[in-house]
Amino acid sequence: MFKKVLSGALLVATAVGLAGCAVDESETSLTVYSGRSETLVQPLIDKFTEETGIEVEVRYAGSAELAAQILEEGQNSPADVFFSQDAGALGAVGKAGLLQTIPQDLLDLVGRSYSAADGSWVGVSGRVRVLNYNPEKVTDLPNSVFDLEDPIWKGRIAIAPTNASFQAFVTAMRVVHGDEETSRWLEAMAVNAVIYEENSAILEAVEQGLVDAGLINHYYWFAMEKEVGAGAMKSKLAQFAEGDVGNLINAAGVGLLSDSGAGKKFVEFLLSPESQEYFASETSEYPLIAGVPVGAGLSPLGEIPAPKIDLSDLDSLEQTLALIRAAGLI
Amino acid sequence: MRRPPALVAALGISAALLAVLPIGYLLLRLVEGFDRAVAELLRFRTLELLGNTALLVVAVTLTALVLGFAQAWLTTRSNIRFAALFGVLAALPLAIPSYVIALGYVSLFPGFSGFFGSWLVLTFSTSPYVFLAVTAAMVRTDTAAEEVARTLGYGRWQVLLKITWPQVRPAATASMLLVALYTLSEFGAIAILRYDTFTRAIYNAYRGSFDRTSAASIAVVLLLITLLVIWFERKYRGNYQASSVALTKRLRVDLAGYKPLAIFGLSVASLLSLGLPLASLVVWSIQGVSSVDAGLLVDALLGSVKLAVLAGLVIGVFGTAIALWSVRYRNRLGQFVETISWATHAMPAIVVGLALVFFGANVTPWIYQTTAMLLIAYLILFLPNTLAAIGTPIAQVSRSLEDVSRSLGTPANKTLYRVVLPIAFPGIIAGIGLAALTVLKELPATLLLRPTETNTLATRLWSATGDLAYAQAAPYALLLVIIAGLPALALNAQARKALSEVRS
Repeated sequence: MFKKVLSGALLVATAVGLAGCAVDESETSLTVYSGRSETLVQPLIDKFTEETGIEVEVRYAGSAELAAQILEEGQNSPADVFFSQDAGALGAVGKAGLLQTIPQDLLDLVGRSYSAADGSWVGVSGRVRVLNYNPEKVTDLPNSVFDLEDPIWKGRIAIAPTNASFQAFVTAMRVVHGDEETSRWLEAMAVNAVIYEENSAILEAVEQGLVDAGLINHYYWFAMEKEVGAGAMKSKLAQFAEGDVGNLINAAGVGLLSDSGAGKKFVEFLLSPESQEYFASETSEYPLIAGVPVGAGLSPLGEIPAPKIDLSDLDSLEQTLALIRAAGLI
Repeated sequence: MRRPPALVAALGISAALLAVLPIGYLLLRLVEGFDRAVAELLRFRTLELLGNTALLVVAVTLTALVLGFAQAWLTTRSNIRFAALFGVLAALPLAIPSYVIALGYVSLFPGFSGFFGSWLVLTFSTSPYVFLAVTAAMVRTDTAAEEVARTLGYGRWQVLLKITWPQVRPAATASMLLVALYTLSEFGAIAILRYDTFTRAIYNAYRGSFDRTSAASIAVVLLLITLLVIWFERKYRGNYQASSVALTKRLRVDLAGYKPLAIFGLSVASLLSLGLPLASLVVWSIQGVSSVDAGLLVDALLGSVKLAVLAGLVIGVFGTAIALWSVRYRNRLGQFVETISWATHAMPAIVVGLALVFFGANVTPWIYQTTAMLLIAYLILFLPNTLAAIGTPIAQVSRSLEDVSRSLGTPANKTLYRVVLPIAFPGIIAGIGLAALTVLKELPATLLLRPTETNTLATRLWSATGDLAYAQAAPYALLLVIIAGLPALALNAQARKALSEVRS
């Protein structure tokens, strides 16, 4: 009886195994894990294949899910390139020692503050933290993100504490103002803020008049404007005063998981003027290489009243999460 | 106790071994950072999550039972008009992913969120499980006992509680278990409606901080809760009752003056669970300016159908084996195998997905990112759906038929294949349908494990909503609901089949 069971189990296992062997992986292809959306990235990929003849397989999912996936795959990851929506996910993969150093000539194309200090990833496009507000409800714009601690903001300001870009902003706040002030701000937010899951949900809530204002990345607003048509937006965007940490500039970036020449070519392609222009016009993000103009309705990156901070200084996510948790926001 | 056939045991043990994978993975991650895991669990927040989760699970399970049972009773046992139509309407919400119902509500009522919203949405998504199971059981049980009880002076409610309920109890509790575990592992709708449960905390730990240890520690607590729920169900399930009586003309209770009330109640339930989400899907489709690429739509449709059919068959085969083992050859090992299969059902799909990513990439790279790997994930996740559907029909095959077959000299195994399985076959098909339908709606594990560049309606829907392109998302969602509606309709037809046979 036992023998029979065992041989039966083996049979099943073999069947499952054989089913897998049917699929073979081409050695010549480049595999990209993309946390950025297919509608945005695929046209670029097609152009890349057209120009270089390199066949690219792309796996689309959320940046954080892909980072978790790469961490589990470890050295055996099929991915050659990780194209991430935010720096935090790249940082986590880099910390695990899974990223190759980006060639220096490519790192030099982008400002130092938008790449990893150790060269493990390079920024591809920039985005700015902004205050999204309903002009009917908010007439007196806050000067600083710290003004939102005031009780007059109770129930009126929306944040997304589980979102990577919010967490990067809180890390920046810790770097500039220290843990104590940051904790105080977070605790005030626990009282004042309405919690959402994502930037897009905040924007919709502000548009629909559910909350008066929210902290988001600038390009969500432009994406929605594209969807509903110019002039149909009820909410507006504003920056805080010069140098305020609420105006943090963050970046989407790319890292190399394998030492493939095709992968390096792909990074080079993303940092070419034509790709950079594509990001600027399609998503209203900021190009990160010199000489490429910004999209309509935006001021040049140099004129953003952003805090002076390097993205690679924002790698202390764990302490940030500890503070956000202590405040009871996640 | 008789031993199960070797094939049944082999399939059962293979499924149990696969189900153990995610549990092993969790323990591995837990041991890696034991101190941090303990610190994570000792936070006040864990207690808060426990309260939230327990409240939601109990609330959803009870309301899904009340709603599903009421719909089943009214459409099979009362003399209301349009009973068949209301039956279809009660089963159909099964075809709508709960995140689509949630999105529908949120887009129509922007303030809709929190406990109440989650409770409502999950009740609507899960009550069809109870409805189908209880309908199938009610149709197959004998109403003679009820008539006798009535003549002995029992009131309507007494009959319902003392005669009807015990007869459908095993089916009802199995479906309640399904509802409870569904609620425990639900992420999409909960995230949209912003209610904090263990599952949401697990997702946030992975997504926000790549913190695999704290995610694992919360997941282990979730696993313990699941075992508790399963134990509870075992205790209160009661025994399956085989009905040896031929199906007879059914007694239909005359609702008399309560008919309009019953019709009104059924209509409101269907309007809220089916009409409203569908209406908002249509509104989405009309709004906006983006358009959909027909080629991508067809591609996604084919991807979805292929995966659903394959997964349905695989899960059906394993499910039948385990159901046979645990119902007809009841022994300790069989019970253990069944419990293990249920235990992983409440695990968030991301945990099962990541466990298989880890295992696949590092141990079995030859099946990593292939359809086979994805099918294994579906098997681990959705085996219980099929078990719940297959258990009752297999249990209801009369033992005496088997005894007759054996007394005529047919070997036990042959009796199984020639007598038991053919009789239970419609039920097995229903189980396959239920599994296929659930696979159609699945998202997190599909995203993690699908072969690169394979797309399904669910993954397309996900990417379109991520882009805020609701108009683009709507056709995928609608098509998904229509496709998933087919097995849902078939399930309903299957559950009521005996009913129409007798009536005609």
